[in-house]
Amino acid sequence: MEIDKKEMAALLLTEFHVYIESGFDHRFSHEDHLGNVDMYISLHDKEDIHAVALLIKKHNGRVVTITPYVVDKGFEIAYHFDAYGIVITVTLLTEDSSVDSITSNLKSADWTEREMQDLFNIKLLGHPNPDRLILDEKMAQGIFKEYMTLSDAMTGAATNTLWERINEAKGEQDG
Amino acid sequence: MGEIYKVPVGPIHIALEEPVYFKVNVHGETVENVDILSGFVHRGMEALVLRRNYLQNMIVTERTCSLCSNNHPFTYIMAVEKIAGVRIPERAEYLRVIADEVKRAASHLFNVSMLAHLVGFHSLMTQTMETREVLQDVKESIWGNRMDLGANTIGGVKYDLDKDQIKYLLGKLISLKKPVRELAAIYRDNRIVRARTEGVGVLTKEDALRLGVVGPTARGSGVDNDIRKAYPYAAYSKLDWDVVLEDGCDVRARALVRLKEVFQAIDLVEQCLSKLPEGPVALQGYPRIPAGEGVARTEAPRGELFFYVKSDGSSKPERMKWRVPTYLNWEALKVMMPGNKIADISVIFNSIDPCISCTER
Repeated sequence: MEIDKKEMAALLLTEFHVYIESGFDHRFSHEDHLGNVDMYISLHDKEDIHAVALLIKKHNGRVVTITPYVVDKGFEIAYHFDAYGIVITVTLLTEDSSVDSITSNLKSADWTEREMQDLFNIKLLGHPNPDRLILDEKMAQGIFKEYMTLSDAMTGAATNTLWERINEAKGEQDG
Repeated sequence: MGEIYKVPVGPIHIALEEPVYFKVNVHGETVENVDILSGFVHRGMEALVLRRNYLQNMIVTERTCSLCSNNHPFTYIMAVEKIAGVRIPERAEYLRVIADEVKRAASHLFNVSMLAHLVGFHSLMTQTMETREVLQDVKESIWGNRMDLGANTIGGVKYDLDKDQIKYLLGKLISLKKPVRELAAIYRDNRIVRARTEGVGVLTKEDALRLGVVGPTARGSGVDNDIRKAYPYAAYSKLDWDVVLEDGCDVRARALVRLKEVFQAIDLVEQCLSKLPEGPVALQGYPRIPAGEGVARTEAPRGELFFYVKSDGSSKPERMKWRVPTYLNWEALKVMMPGNKIADISVIFNSIDPCISCTER
């Protein structure tokens, strides 16, 4: 039976109101001519991601991926879920660079959470397997962000800028 | 009771073309469990694309990997088109499907030929690669390249097909049917292939759903999550086709899904060519990309490919993230491998059609 995604998205939105205690903003929904629906939501409290994961699990949904990015106050993390073919993007703000892991409820979050930990140094609280995924143990988590991204290096901005940053960091440590 | 031995497979290993590291615990010849480490060729593409404009990123994303190269710009472009609020001409929708299905058929044939190689059936491998060569010729003749087609652009496609090209493409596809049918029969029925693939690397439907695996890895375990149906795009909803499913849950089932999808790809291209509407292949000029965000997904040969693009209204994206199909399928190896023999590791590994180049971005 064909699922009416618009109806299902409205139903999910109603359930979000029940599950999410601290409230959220339904920023917008994008509907295309083929009946696809993408929903964009912002949480008021980052701890509500746990309730969102339970709701997605209840509907046999999964984590598609997670996008962290730097904002003035810290990090915004956009979780992209799939339920009934609807893509639900749930964004939260973390000011202390930590967030509850949802892997124990949604296994599909496992790798993408660990990647976020390695590349952005975002602390995962309660991840069942928080081991390194991308970076070697000898390298500091979030090192790409701190010193020099590969793409900076490839655009020729390397040597001086890199050493300036390293010396600056060393100065902070020594001094 | 024998002892448990640790066997490192990779990061550089003769059976793995790209670097990934398996820490395998074995009891005698039998795999007890496996841990996976990646990141050996991380390229920081997600940072690179923030320093390129929207047009340059069509080129960058196509270089994420080679076998599913067409899907990366295709999906990225659809996310950008959503932010811009544009709808492409109908002819372009069909042309996008044609390019993608030709790539899918070639990619699947490559994967099953690697399966033949890994089970030691080298004549089957060379025969499969020789058959695939027809598709490589098609790509080179029509798009000018054997791997990176450069078919898509923001607002449509960069190529068109005239009558002679359509005739050529149809002729090549028809010539493929008989050899692919013969190959499929060998993969399906040959005693040696069956012995090495049947009941090997089992992933139950429950586990496939729990892990959220995608593509032929999921469909070989009976999980229907083909994005072309679940989240239609381009011209797929206007074509007559069904999702290929197998319920064997093993290496053989995943190979059979891929072989059936080769026929399906040929059929879809034929349908597109017969229904190809007249009209322009792209919008006039490029649209302005306003501030906003958009997601898009396609069914790449290995499964769902997802792009998220966030724009602040400038000429470059504010954030871009893409999740490749293999990324979700790695964890499934931890379920597939235990209980199998050491010799099966590479066969099981190949059955998720792994793309490290994609995973590492």
